[in-house]
Amino acid sequence: MIAPYALKLAVQSLLKEKWINLLSVMTIGAGLLIISVSFFALYNIDIATKKLPKKFSMNVYLDNNLQQDRLDSIMDAIRKNRAVLSVRYISKDEAMKELKSYLKNSDYILEGLEENPLPDSLEIKLRKDATGRETAQQLAREALKIKGVAEVDYGENFLTTLTAIKKGFNAIGLVFAVILSTGIIFVCYSTVKILFYRRTEEIETFKLLGATKGFIRTPFLIEGAFIGACGGLLSLAGCFSLYYTVLLRLSVTMPVFKAVLFPANLFLPLPVIGMLLGLAGATIALGRIRY
Amino acid sequence: MIHFQNVTKDFDNQTALKDISFSVDKGQMVFLTGPSGSGKTTLLKLIYLAERPDNGEIIIDGYDTSQIKDSGIPLVRRSIGIVFQDFRLLENRTVFENISIALRIRGIGEKETKTRTYDVLKNVNLRHKADSYPKRLSGGEQQRVVIARAIVPEPVILLADEPTGNLDPDTAEGVMNTFKNVHAKGTTILIATHNRELYRNTGNKVLRLDSGNLIGEEFGR
Ligand SMILES: Nc1ncnc2c1ncn2[C@@H]1O[C@H](COP(=O)(O)OP(=O)(O)O)[C@@H](O)[C@H]1O
Ligand SMILES: [Mg+2]
Repeated sequence: MIAPYALKLAVQSLLKEKWINLLSVMTIGAGLLIISVSFFALYNIDIATKKLPKKFSMNVYLDNNLQQDRLDSIMDAIRKNRAVLSVRYISKDEAMKELKSYLKNSDYILEGLEENPLPDSLEIKLRKDATGRETAQQLAREALKIKGVAEVDYGENFLTTLTAIKKGFNAIGLVFAVILSTGIIFVCYSTVKILFYRRTEEIETFKLLGATKGFIRTPFLIEGAFIGACGGLLSLAGCFSLYYTVLLRLSVTMPVFKAVLFPANLFLPLPVIGMLLGLAGATIALGRIRY
Repeated sequence: MIHFQNVTKDFDNQTALKDISFSVDKGQMVFLTGPSGSGKTTLLKLIYLAERPDNGEIIIDGYDTSQIKDSGIPLVRRSIGIVFQDFRLLENRTVFENISIALRIRGIGEKETKTRTYDVLKNVNLRHKADSYPKRLSGGEQQRVVIARAIVPEPVILLADEPTGNLDPDTAEGVMNTFKNVHAKGTTILIATHNRELYRNTGNKVLRLDSGNLIGEEFGR
């Protein structure tokens, strides 16, 4: 239980040293805001990349002039794979038709072609629940082994790059968060230390009158926690106002931003996170001060 | 209640107290006298554990102080009221705050703290100064605030370091009357002073220090 008097001492000190405290709150708020914005960006990258493979289909290019029974056995073999949802055969003529309709008025590009250069192919759709990169990779490897399959295109390079970028971003985000959290703890640490040294005279008297360490420390712990929580609250306000003033306005003119998700619930613990960081800073500070 | 056995205290090779032995019994009022620099303040500091002896044994309220760890010091100090020579008033806190802090440190609740603080303020005739800041008070008033802070928790031992240091005789008499009232309730009191008027004709025990030596134990007459 926190003695009401410790709370009173904490409040008094917070008011008395309001400029130092305000500065600390703002620094902590800025730090937590940067962490939140990075998290927000990573969160959206993650969501976006998770959606991508679900639309994913794979193209298997076949050798020319396969016999019908050979083709059937290839399709059967591929259908046996649990990741496969559907297999559609696209003959070279069909592929040409699709290409022509895709090119529409520009189909002059294809003029002068004497022979259809496109191969017969299979379009494979993957199950929603089996869309990981590994699944696609394995399926491609197995398909390549089948006699009559010439080539498999599943956008490997794209997926690999995307995953690497994602991992890189996550790593940078983590390092960033660790550095900034350490910074925030340090800000609280220094603030509490300053507050403490400004009151050494009083603390010395308290001790001579019989105050325990707990009596002396508790107000500083409260102060550290409060400053941290205020910083967290500030960053929370920052997150919401950034979202409402910047992002929502941007999405009016640039619809791309409509896809951006704002995980409001995930930001709500910010004041608690700030409080814990503040408490950590205060605890370290009090642990290191000799008195 | 207070027992010193062959106590020595040095400061950087300079001896402040040399081989001191004496006892103050429970409920006794004892004076400690001697010229300035003779070691009176140092002796009091040894009692409230602001200093530790280099040699010898100090027993306070039955506890051997050499056995008391730093974490146990607050507990010892809570049984002692101290009138500091340099007052140690908190400049940015009111008279009321300065006195009530002694109760708050002891974990006493808000309501009781209020009544007891106002009672002691009446006791030292400072009820009307409750909301003043120490700087606004005269020397004698400040002295009485320090005394009020020392006696408000009703300690078993009261230590006073030059409590009439810069006071006019009338104010000094008022201060001594306060001590007598506290003493009458059974509190053990040790008063350091170089003012012989305080103990003359009292019949109380007087310990006389000179350059760190206890040169005499007599009775005030
Ligand atoms: N913290 C200290 N460091 C060094 N010397 C001290 C310290 N405190 C007291 N002394 C010395 O110890 C002697 C006794 O001082 P003190 O106990 O204050 O005497 P009194 O209270 O009788 O005037 C003095 O010579 C003083 O200079
Ligand atoms: Mg002295």
